[in-house]
Amino acid sequence: MPKHKYHNCVVMAQNIARKQALTYLLGVCVPSSKQNAAKIRIKRADFDSYLLMYFAKYEFIYATDPQKLCKTGDTVLIQSLPQKLTRLIAHKVVDVIYPLGDITDPISGKKVVAGRYREHIEEDAKLFGDLKSMYKYDEAPERGITAGKRDFTDKETYIKYSDDPKDYDPYAVNP
Amino acid sequence: MNSIVSCCKLLGAKASNVHVFGGYLSRGMAKTIDDYKIKWVRPVKLPSIDPRQSGDLGLNVSVKPTDMKVLYDKSKELQDADEIVKRMFTLEFQPRRETKNLEREKVIALVKRHICDRNSAEVRIAAMTTEIQYLQRHIAEQRRNVKLKVFLKELIDKRKKFLKYIRRWDYKRFEWLLERLNLIYIPQPKIPGRVSRKDALRQLTKNYCDGIIQQKLNVFKAQLKEQQKVFFAQKIKNLEYILAEEKKYDLNPTVSEKQIDDARKKLEEILKETV
Repeated sequence: MPKHKYHNCVVMAQNIARKQALTYLLGVCVPSSKQNAAKIRIKRADFDSYLLMYFAKYEFIYATDPQKLCKTGDTVLIQSLPQKLTRLIAHKVVDVIYPLGDITDPISGKKVVAGRYREHIEEDAKLFGDLKSMYKYDEAPERGITAGKRDFTDKETYIKYSDDPKDYDPYAVNP
Repeated sequence: MNSIVSCCKLLGAKASNVHVFGGYLSRGMAKTIDDYKIKWVRPVKLPSIDPRQSGDLGLNVSVKPTDMKVLYDKSKELQDADEIVKRMFTLEFQPRRETKNLEREKVIALVKRHICDRNSAEVRIAAMTTEIQYLQRHIAEQRRNVKLKVFLKELIDKRKKFLKYIRRWDYKRFEWLLERLNLIYIPQPKIPGRVSRKDALRQLTKNYCDGIIQQKLNVFKAQLKEQQKVFFAQKIKNLEYILAEEKKYDLNPTVSEKQIDDARKKLEEILKETV
């Protein structure tokens, strides 16, 4: 079928319209070496035409996050910016949708820990006779008290390449 | 004629700066890595069962040889028994495993949910931690017990897996557990690999070059700040002069007081930063 004489113009107009529209993406925040920008991993289904199957394919996008909304492991919503901020950064973090390790059941709205409601865990403990050593959610501080002290998952770790005590880095793993 | 002379001078200057180095032309700068004063110390390879690798910083529970065996302290018969009989059931006269059992119970008591809790993730991690630290102490003496080393390595990996799960399930409790058991959690790097002299020197050279660039940038920034001081002082003077002149000749003022105030504030900020 012959193309319309204005076909190319129409395609160009579509491209322009597509560029201007702000797209939303959902991805997981991974450790990033950049300041003020989060590295987001986006999962896409990639079709293998030989096996006729979809496989997971990951794409990494940098999104500006000056307020430090997201932490490593959080599932966040990002939006494309109308103009690129830098060569790499063309998105911004809109909101944290699912914080890591703080799951809420969408139906009942209760907090969940590995297949059980937090309430039920506490009730069970009360029935058995709870102890002082039990973990209390109400008194617990926000996530991140041990980041960089005990928990080194917030930044990328690497194999230690030099044993100089002057530039000691806790994120360097001993070989 | 002048231009020819200057050309000759330039060529001469160049020729004096360039050396022939192994068949290549070089500019008399550093030739090898040793000229940069980069020092490389090969990192020591630690065994995976080492406390520094497994992230154990030690537990703060006291187990004395005079303590009673687990559960025997609650025995009614022992309460009114003879002193010698009581002493028989202290850790001093019991097998070594009883010391370990008591230590385990004390560590579990740090994170227990309720009195019957033997199966929660934190209790299991606490029990594993006691076992790991006991075996680490034991293997420091008995270095040739390979089966035990393998068991210990597998136990450390298993605990790490449990910590990974608990981090995903309940992040706050994961952090609380690390503080409670005095542990460190470092994930394995995504790109594993051996330490090699070549890669390490490349990285160190890169760090060195980055340092030089940063140093030069800092000097340049300081220079610009100095220039800003002069510029804003002059700007305030000029603006004041323009304002005064315009008032003098009854012209529409093109400069406002606010602009002058802004410039003054900016100058103050810069002076504060540099002090």
